[in-house]
Amino acid sequence: MSERVARAALSRLSEPGDARLSGLVGQLGAGKVYDLLRDEEDVGGVFTDVATRLRGLDPERELEEASAKGIRFLCPEDAEWPRCLDDLASVEPLQGRGGAPLGLWVRGPLRLDEACDRSAAVVGSRSATSYGTSVASDIAASLASNAMAVVSGAAFGIDQASHRGALAVKGRTVAVLACGVDRPYPAAHKNLLDYIVDVGLVVSELPPGCSPTKLRFLSRNRVIAALTQGTVVVEAALRSGALNTANWALRLNRQVMGVPGPVTSAPSEGVHQLIRCRDAALVTKGADVLELLSQAGSFLSEEARGPDHPRDQLTEREQRVLEAVPAVQGASCDSIARTAGIAAGKVQEVLGLLHAKHLVENAGMRWRLVRD
Amino acid sequence: MAVATARTISLQGATGYLIDVQVDVSQGVVMTAMVGRPDASISEARDRCRAAVTNSGFDWPATRRVTILLSPADLPKRGPHFDLAIAVATLSASGKVPVQALAGVVFIGELTLDGRLRSVPGVLPMTMAAATRGIRCVVVPEPQADEAAFVPGMAVLGVRSLSQVVAGLCGQEIPAAPPVEPMASGPLLSWRGDERIKNLDMRDVLGMADARYALEVAAAGGHHLMLSGPKGSGKTTLAERISSLLPDLTVEESVELSAIYSLAGCLSQDQTMITRPPFRAPHHSASRASVLGGGSGRVRPGEVSRAHTGTLFLDEFPLFNADIIEALRQPLESGEITIARGEESATFPARSMFVIACNPCPCGDYHPTNRDNRCSCTEVKRREYRKKISGPIADRIDITRHIEPVRPHEMLDPLARPESSAEIRRRVTTARDTQAERYVGTAWRLNADVAGPILRESWPLTEEADRHLTARVYSGELTRRGATRVHRLAWTVADLAGTGSPGMREVDVALRLRTGEPLCVSTLETARVG
Repeated sequence: MSERVARAALSRLSEPGDARLSGLVGQLGAGKVYDLLRDEEDVGGVFTDVATRLRGLDPERELEEASAKGIRFLCPEDAEWPRCLDDLASVEPLQGRGGAPLGLWVRGPLRLDEACDRSAAVVGSRSATSYGTSVASDIAASLASNAMAVVSGAAFGIDQASHRGALAVKGRTVAVLACGVDRPYPAAHKNLLDYIVDVGLVVSELPPGCSPTKLRFLSRNRVIAALTQGTVVVEAALRSGALNTANWALRLNRQVMGVPGPVTSAPSEGVHQLIRCRDAALVTKGADVLELLSQAGSFLSEEARGPDHPRDQLTEREQRVLEAVPAVQGASCDSIARTAGIAAGKVQEVLGLLHAKHLVENAGMRWRLVRD
Repeated sequence: MAVATARTISLQGATGYLIDVQVDVSQGVVMTAMVGRPDASISEARDRCRAAVTNSGFDWPATRRVTILLSPADLPKRGPHFDLAIAVATLSASGKVPVQALAGVVFIGELTLDGRLRSVPGVLPMTMAAATRGIRCVVVPEPQADEAAFVPGMAVLGVRSLSQVVAGLCGQEIPAAPPVEPMASGPLLSWRGDERIKNLDMRDVLGMADARYALEVAAAGGHHLMLSGPKGSGKTTLAERISSLLPDLTVEESVELSAIYSLAGCLSQDQTMITRPPFRAPHHSASRASVLGGGSGRVRPGEVSRAHTGTLFLDEFPLFNADIIEALRQPLESGEITIARGEESATFPARSMFVIACNPCPCGDYHPTNRDNRCSCTEVKRREYRKKISGPIADRIDITRHIEPVRPHEMLDPLARPESSAEIRRRVTTARDTQAERYVGTAWRLNADVAGPILRESWPLTEEADRHLTARVYSGELTRRGATRVHRLAWTVADLAGTGSPGMREVDVALRLRTGEPLCVSTLETARVG
């Protein structure tokens, strides 16, 4: 039996993020592990767990059926396998889950390895605010229009906003699901997922037909973090799953970024916590993310600064004289000198300079400010 | 007996008084005297009636003393519609018409010199007033018979001339008469933008999910709405579409509104009954009388009343005259407006949804939450501009929304499928039906109408939600009035979602709507699914 078929079988047998099984596969190879399980050999206690699922399993047929539906199964031996996923093998499990995926079920016209080559995860709360969704789609649109793929989870709130931001600029977007890639979940996002299948990628560790569970979402988060160079958390309340994604990104040494919200807003609390603990870099727009994730110096974000004002260029002495010039009724040179505390002769000279810069005007022998 | 009484109605604002027109024809110095505080247009009735009677082939008692009394005598009376009652009473007093025939009938109409009857403004409210006083029969100019017929249980006689009236009263065959022209022809001009508002649809509005929901809530509960935002962000686009979210008027609303239009003399002939909620958008240079009501002579309802049961859109609100802005406090709070001058005091209904749009500053570019803010106004100027919307006015606005300009990628979103007005209207209608059911047996129709104390008593929030709201009052973030308004708003949020009594979620949404904070997207999604 080929390695691919064995991996497909194992992905059906196990729950995603089973670090024990993924370790065994790493050591013995998938074919060997599958054979052992079929011989009812209890390797590392795995057999006991999967015995009921082994019955009637036909991985070859399953692969055929999947490919008839336009679903392909990727495993590490494929050229399309994103190498960045291998990082998961060397990371300590989190909450009992970890390890590299056994394989990925993929739908969509893009190549996963190319998409993930330059990519960022934009994730956040399901119960987001309109501020959050608008920032998320803004950032996603700006990343996608700079040839960076957007990876997210297809859930309500921030996830869907990220995908739609990327789709709006005809950019690349990858949805990583916690259920089979043929299942529209949540049902309200059927149109979104259908669209992504047409132009982007829908990816899952779980074989077709599987339904989502809470634990599968947590396992899914590690794939999102591993597929990308960095994770942007837009809005996340204190117990949000998006923080779990951020946690995985930290473990994987990926860049974590957070978009702040109003300090009184509950859906932003988790993000603020990340920023406060210096786990996340504060980003406010797509350009900030591009700067952090791209090759050093290739996307320098312009430093934010207020508009220039002609007065900024004046010397201290000129500013003192200018402040002494009245706005409406003019004042004589002597009076200005007294107010500014500068010698009259010097004031005369400075007023001349200010006049040349169109900051003061001369009415008779009296000086006043030029109105803007 | 040489005395006869015919009855008609005098209107003060939206209140009608039953007037007895008593005519005495007797011996004495030959003259026609009119007493009982008539105004100029009634005094002229003497000449009109005399000519009309003569030209209709009857005799005016020219050799007698004719005294015409309009009673009650202390009430000031206005309008040309007294003509018919005066003429009929005079003919009856001189024995041409049996006196008994005049009992229980109200006569409305202006006479021409050749005895034909002309249309007059206000036939519907006059007929309504007559009905409340127990009158069961009105005689009105023929083109306005349909208008009067809206009043249930009223026998309406539409007539063309004085001789037809007399024949009717004497039980003779009605003679033929040339038709009466309607009061006003249709609009003289029609232009391409004529039907513009009617054709607007929410389907054409991209993005702005927050504002769309705010509009839906305002339409469902009749709440006042303020849209602020930089120029070109879509405030007017949204406001002009709010009418499309409202269901057709109920019969009751339709009668009220038609009565107001009739008073204003702008009930058009081809469409006597108004069935769609009105959308009125006076320009910011409009005069006080035109917005609030008033005018020379008869007090006419202003735009606030013409928008009754519909929408009053005040674009560029801070540019309105300061005294108009302040005078709007009354209709904003109580849904009516009283115009008092001299000894006259007229009250008109003005329960419409106020939609106020304003720029954030005089140049219209100020946008503190946007990095690309190009405003060129000084802070002082901005403050002055904002100060025009005074605290008391702002406190009466239920929903505040800051409109963000649509971002380019929102316009390109391949999955955006903005809902059409019809889809939203369906939810609004359901929510309005729920309210009507709840308030059956009261004078209220919508959540925005309900009196505060009774609302708290009969339709309270859940205990937890109430504590949450009260805490905001104690912390000074909300006035007591504000809390009541949030309470009403929470009911509308609940009615739209179909969740029954409002709890924490509804109060949270209502507070966000009031304070202008961004909404949770789950709120918007429930709206769409539910």
